[in-house]
Amino acid sequence: MKKFDKERVLLAVAGPVIALAVAFVLSAIVLIASGKNPVEPFAVMFEQAGFSDIQVLIINQASMYYIAALAVAIGFRMNLFNIGVDGQYQLGAMLAAIVGAHMNLPAVIQIPLLLLTAIFTGAFWAGIAGVLKVTRGVSEVVATIMLNAIATSVIGYLWLPTVFGVKVGNNNTTGEMHSSGWIPGIDMGPAGEIYGLVVLAVLLGIGYWVVLNRTRFGFDLRASGASETAAAASGVDPKRMTLTAMLISGAIAGLAGLPILLGDTHTYSLNFPTGIGFLGIGIALLGRNSPVGIAFAALLWAWLDKASPELDFHGYDKEIAVIMQGLIVLSVVVSYEAVREWGLRRQQRRVGAELAAGHVLGAHNTKEVAGR
Amino acid sequence: MANHDIHLTVRKGTVHALVGENGAGKSTLMKILYGMQKPDEGTITIDGEQVSLHSPADAITRGIGMVHQHFMLADNLTVLENVVLGSEKLYGIGAKARRKITEISDRYGLGVRPDVLVEELGVAARQRVEILKVLYRGATTLILDEPTAVLVPQEVDALFANLRELKSEGLSVIFISHKLGEVLSVADEITVIRRGTTVGTAVPSETTPRQLAEMMVGSELPTPETAESTVTDRPVITVDKLRLQAPGGKALLDDITFTIHAGEVLGIAGVEGNGQTELVDALIGLRHADSGTITLAEEEITGWHTRKRREQGVGYIPEDRHRHGLLLEAPLWENRILGHVTEKPNAKGVWLDPKAAQEDTRRIVEAYDVRTPGIDVTAASLSGGNQQKLIVGREMSHKPRFLIAAHPTRGVDVGAQAAIWDHIREARREGLAVLLISADLDELIGLSDTLRVIYNGRLVADADPATITPEELGSAMTGAATGHLEHEETPENSADVSKSPESPEDEAR
Amino acid sequence: MRRVSRIAVAGAATASLALALSACGGTSTQSSSAESKGDKGLAIAYDVGGKGDQSFNDAAYAGLEQAKKEFKYETADIEPTEGETDADKAQRLASLAKQGYNPVIGVGYAYAPAVKEVAEKYPDTTFGIVDDAQVQADNVADLVFNEEQASYLAGVAAAKSTKTNVVGFVGGVDIPLIHKFQAGFEQGVKATNPKVKVLSQYLTQTAEEGGFASPDKGKTAAEGQIEKKADVVYAAAGLSGQGVIEAAAANKVWAIGVDSDQYKQEALAKYKDSILTSATKDVAKAVYSLAKSVEEGKPETGIVRGDLKTGEVGLANSNPKFADNAELQEAIATAKEKIISGEIKVKSS
Repeated sequence: MKKFDKERVLLAVAGPVIALAVAFVLSAIVLIASGKNPVEPFAVMFEQAGFSDIQVLIINQASMYYIAALAVAIGFRMNLFNIGVDGQYQLGAMLAAIVGAHMNLPAVIQIPLLLLTAIFTGAFWAGIAGVLKVTRGVSEVVATIMLNAIATSVIGYLWLPTVFGVKVGNNNTTGEMHSSGWIPGIDMGPAGEIYGLVVLAVLLGIGYWVVLNRTRFGFDLRASGASETAAAASGVDPKRMTLTAMLISGAIAGLAGLPILLGDTHTYSLNFPTGIGFLGIGIALLGRNSPVGIAFAALLWAWLDKASPELDFHGYDKEIAVIMQGLIVLSVVVSYEAVREWGLRRQQRRVGAELAAGHVLGAHNTKEVAGR
Repeated sequence: MANHDIHLTVRKGTVHALVGENGAGKSTLMKILYGMQKPDEGTITIDGEQVSLHSPADAITRGIGMVHQHFMLADNLTVLENVVLGSEKLYGIGAKARRKITEISDRYGLGVRPDVLVEELGVAARQRVEILKVLYRGATTLILDEPTAVLVPQEVDALFANLRELKSEGLSVIFISHKLGEVLSVADEITVIRRGTTVGTAVPSETTPRQLAEMMVGSELPTPETAESTVTDRPVITVDKLRLQAPGGKALLDDITFTIHAGEVLGIAGVEGNGQTELVDALIGLRHADSGTITLAEEEITGWHTRKRREQGVGYIPEDRHRHGLLLEAPLWENRILGHVTEKPNAKGVWLDPKAAQEDTRRIVEAYDVRTPGIDVTAASLSGGNQQKLIVGREMSHKPRFLIAAHPTRGVDVGAQAAIWDHIREARREGLAVLLISADLDELIGLSDTLRVIYNGRLVADADPATITPEELGSAMTGAATGHLEHEETPENSADVSKSPESPEDEAR
Repeated sequence: MRRVSRIAVAGAATASLALALSACGGTSTQSSSAESKGDKGLAIAYDVGGKGDQSFNDAAYAGLEQAKKEFKYETADIEPTEGETDADKAQRLASLAKQGYNPVIGVGYAYAPAVKEVAEKYPDTTFGIVDDAQVQADNVADLVFNEEQASYLAGVAAAKSTKTNVVGFVGGVDIPLIHKFQAGFEQGVKATNPKVKVLSQYLTQTAEEGGFASPDKGKTAAEGQIEKKADVVYAAAGLSGQGVIEAAAANKVWAIGVDSDQYKQEALAKYKDSILTSATKDVAKAVYSLAKSVEEGKPETGIVRGDLKTGEVGLANSNPKFADNAELQEAIATAKEKIISGEIKVKSS
């Protein structure tokens, strides 16, 4: 047993490590090809990771990436591709901002209310794709992409001054939220503030692991992802599971924008960060859908984001970070598949070898069937 | 290590059979010969020339062709299109290719018509197309992987006639099979593989199936037990006028009516694709009947979904264990949970209980002789027979009242086959009702208390397993006979039975 | 056991992260203060789209170039990353201020919260923000423009030039800033000839979708309007405006450019005969003026408005066909006077 445990750790780590190494090397080649020093940009970026204010930025950004990636991952675990996380979180954040600006209740009620608003908005938006898939067989990929576009228009509509919009100069906002809905951050002195909802991201990660690995529902969900036919034969209703997974994915997605909304901006404006849902896809992929893996991936991504602007001051293009992110995603896909196949083959061979050597669990079987 | 010290020599113009338990290393050997896997050491020599095969394409250019167990044909293309697909360079795609196909077909008596759609062909005809496909690509050595598994006895005879034709033209055939009787009747030479190595060769004329089986498992086989009837008059599952339709309204199953009592095994014989899969799906709840009822003991379960049926004591050994019975990349203990996630010892309330499940997996592994180094290895790394034993153990662990056993020993070696039969017999003694579906007629006849024949979605005939022969059953399966099948005691027939290399005793024990 | 070890790994990771946080007390801005203060001058931080948009951001860069040449000091211009937060923008501005650049200008209203935050921390540095008047601080200059006034004149020109009595407006992104262009243009058209119909269209809802950066979208939109008989199209769409101009040239109708005098732009030389005029917005001059005021020791502060009166917005006169059309010029001159005198109030939304 021990041996197989080590094996598993090796396999789990090999994929990402190979992918990262390849991505670093390829990025260095890109730098050399454009006649630049291939090492210094990385040195600069590593140096940035040492500064406390950059660390705060990284952690804050990573918390949003993390939540978005969890939302994507839960879909991945049952072979659903929720590309709509982007629309779901933006819509969730906007409605939370609107509710927060128009309701003023004590914080103990206000904050859960805002969280629930975001959860239900996200779940509703993803649920549309889920319902379309189970009733009409519409691919969730197509449906969620379309819903992203529709979400953008809905947001544009809600921004109209005649609806919920408040114009601040040349910016569209939803008005400032009442302070009872603000979540205080963790003050890091001159380095800034860590969003209070970073804690929520951690809790979601733990919840994700517990639900998937320790509940009947989680087992059914994983079984559906591993083999739809086997899951159906085991008693999972595939349609219901699809819809449920979509709703949960959307609910988590709805929360992805809240750390910055409740911790910093307190309004949903044109400045609100976009595209986190799409980045979440790459992060979930890199993190192999595991809560710990995604945490590392989210931090890595946030580091590339937050450390790269410094490159501009050193005569490099910060787009090298974007190139790297792209290369990581590419090499991840290739290396994971290679490592997975290699691992399966290796295990098969080892099992064969162990059996040939007579290391068999059932060897003390008294019921000598066929005398073997 | 899957294979070591393998020695195999196939002579030109012979049929060479390769037999061995599942997991003995036959598939690996075939993969090596067909260039799908590389050997770590050793050599392959073709016509005196040492070669290294890196891919199936390599193998083909060296004249080695493979007919897979699962056909690789595109249903919506014609035979001609299927044959030329991927080899357009050989003879083009037009008249020249058609001429070539007709020529090969005539030469070896394959009877293949180039312009028929593959979807219109039966299993045997598809197999001949596969063979023709390989010949078309210039193969002189054919590897046939379990070619008879999907055929009825009459079709098997026809296939063997084809094979004899091939070898008389100077081609070599490597023939893999579990059915020892067939092996003895068609092969010129036999190589036995056990635990990844060749343990010996045999000449058919000097060998009995029993000797061959003992060579395969490496010890004496247990003597067959006489099966006494355990059938009671307590109905466990009653199916009444069950009808299932395809989306277009065509009946997949119609007027299916039967009752299985406690302690009874009902065998369903039929050529694949005549409604067996649909019947199993309807019973386990993967499809819902369009009309008719299913009753378990006293309760009508027609409207129940799969999970409830399983919780209430319907056990399920699926036809395709990879698709319906296992999570291949999950560890064994998770596979032990599959299908019974709501039941003890796997769950406590809504929570899983991994410890108890792992504990129980160890018990199953021991009790059912699943050969594995541990319960954390993936299901995929076990051999087919061991996977099946795990499934049987899992299903039996929940004390089912009614067991659906679809091809419970397909692709399973002799030893595991006997073990699985033992488990089914044992459970039957304790009052289990079993629906047995199998393409192995000897298994059906040997295990069943009652036999029914399914044809075109209907139960068209019934027979007494005590007297019926596989040949008689075979003709009913093709729709030639209906009603109650009586065994005709003619000299010719009885001679057949005694000569039949596959009498239940030989095969079962 | 495996579960335990996994949790242990997670715990260790979290702990090490926390350690890293407390261990590295220094912030990046503290550390870079060690670098030479040197002779550093103007720095600008671009808006989405960045350098090379042939329009707004490039205009800011032109101002920077001029200041660099004239005052012979070191300048910096930094581009944004996609999907960044206000905190990132603040980081960028703080970094520039800490390195000694003065003034530091955020190009675009998106920088408003960042400028507000950073200006408090660096009271000795002058900050500028383009297109926003929300930030009120002693060391902040709000560089805003009355785009609607120039657009009004563009409307007059369009109404006088159309033969089909249909004109078009193509906005890059559906945001308040661009609504000003539309409002002024429509008012100008209607005031000149109430019978002329204005077709208005926005390319995208958000800047991320590329409304300011997609000539193909601009081209498609303009072709649609031309099909509906529009024979003058006015584009307020950044880089996307090139597509509008291209479509106008291909269909032999008039285009009106925006921000810079697009008749003179090299990238558009092929189509210049179709460019009637451009509603200019002299970001370059605003940027340069702020730099100059800092250099002279009397930094601008508060709202610095560019309008018809100061000449920082207006209509370009480069196309001879436009400049030589006396009737047109007279109408424009009259409108301009009335706006400056306050007789005409141009709506901004």
